[in-house]
Amino acid sequence: MSSEHFSRARLLLLAVLFATGCQDSAPKDNAPAPAKHQSAQPVLALPNREGSFKFGVLGDFGTGARPQYELADQMVKLHERFKYEIVVTVGDNLYGSERPQDFQKKFEIPYKPLLDAGVKFCAVLGNHDAREQRYYKLFNMNGKLYYTFSPTPDVRFFLLESTYPTPEQFQWLEDELKASSNNWKIVVFHHPLYSSGERHGSDLGLREVLEPLFLKYNVSVVLNGHDHVYERVKPQKGIQYFVVGSGGRLRSGNIDRESGITAQDFDTDLVFMAAEIIGDEMYFNAISRVGQTVDSGVLTRRKITP
Amino acid sequence: MSAKPNGVIVFVGLALVTFTACNGGDKPAPAPATSDSPATASPTERVVGPLSPADAQALSTMNDRLKDYIDLHTKLESSLPSLSKDATPQEIDKHQRALEILMRNARATAKPGDIFTPEARPVIIRLLAAVFGGPGGQQLKASIMDENPVGLTFSVNDRYPDAVPLSSVPAQVLQTLPELSEDMEYHFVGDRLILLDTHAHVIADFIEDALPKE
Repeated sequence: MSSEHFSRARLLLLAVLFATGCQDSAPKDNAPAPAKHQSAQPVLALPNREGSFKFGVLGDFGTGARPQYELADQMVKLHERFKYEIVVTVGDNLYGSERPQDFQKKFEIPYKPLLDAGVKFCAVLGNHDAREQRYYKLFNMNGKLYYTFSPTPDVRFFLLESTYPTPEQFQWLEDELKASSNNWKIVVFHHPLYSSGERHGSDLGLREVLEPLFLKYNVSVVLNGHDHVYERVKPQKGIQYFVVGSGGRLRSGNIDRESGITAQDFDTDLVFMAAEIIGDEMYFNAISRVGQTVDSGVLTRRKITP
Repeated sequence: MSAKPNGVIVFVGLALVTFTACNGGDKPAPAPATSDSPATASPTERVVGPLSPADAQALSTMNDRLKDYIDLHTKLESSLPSLSKDATPQEIDKHQRALEILMRNARATAKPGDIFTPEARPVIIRLLAAVFGGPGGQQLKASIMDENPVGLTFSVNDRYPDAVPLSSVPAQVLQTLPELSEDMEYHFVGDRLILLDTHAHVIADFIEDALPKE
């Protein structure tokens, strides 16, 4: 990732903060968004180029409470002018009860405008999710706990189950990564290999097993949740890790700023991420419940020669 | 998802290398860690050992009981309409709860030790002690205790509570314990190792004090 790109992003962020006012207090999970920000439009630090691959990232969201709905409203607003086709979820799709009415209240109703517009949600399971979610049509898991799909010839997602990571899954992942010739390999699962969240933090056992595969097979981006914050981790051995775990629940002030691994963080409000891939570059925005663009930038895919 | 032979557990880590580690008591022996894995083995290829023929025999008693359980599960689940990959929440809920009732009724007299047999328990405990006493053991334990529902009370054949998250089970633990078919999972509740029927949401069995204290 070039420093020039991030300088540009930082300038943009400063401009956004100046324009919209910085969030200066920590909202509770059930707190309403401040009224003065309700109509804020996310500042788009994305090229929004026609024909590019655009997607969203959402994690730890299925509470059914008002903050989740308010963040969903921001996702809808963004979609009106940035037509992302897919949302990958990083798990904890439904908290608590999972009766039919919960699927409505915690998923179908808040994201109805997106679902109606044809946006596909592609889910992974978190530790709060029942295994049956894999059969739920709108999560597009086709009955599988881990799976892969390629939305464009350039891009392939690998979606894993990290609460119960069986040896078979690792073998499957290695086979799929090896077989993939896609330029962009993006891996999605719940438990972060790198996180400054004080509640959970980095899963070192999982890192020991997965990171060598990511390095060996040219993975460029890893998307996680679990910690209820947003964090863009400094590239680790060339791989860009994001924690996008505040889609419905927030652990305010939970980032350990002494961790030394944080490139950018946001732990005072809910966040989702939007991204766009053009050639060898991936542009990203992290957008809060009140429409602030709290992080943005562009990264370049890894290119190792086997 | 890769297919596995239904109703069959395959023992991983059956490296019948030495005859020295047979365990006769309930207390875990000092952890031999991963001494049987070559130093160059990747984490996914490690084998915790040694496992004696006596241990393998002890675990086979669990295998037999588990096979009986899976046979029952399969028979009862096949009596229900199967879930499609495009199921509605109503279909999912109806199927899951119907299976739960069938399983719980069929095992109304189930008790601890029915699957984790008295012979298999000390071996399981010793295998876990080996993992957690080995390199990175503290990290693995920390991973298990992350959102571990400590304090949850339950009995065999109870429904796993809907609102309680599952403890994550590190890959290093899963490659050590006897492998299960897709519908069964190990999880930890406090320091108890539970065997969870993930289709029925029923706790099929558990072992007390499975996590080493230190």
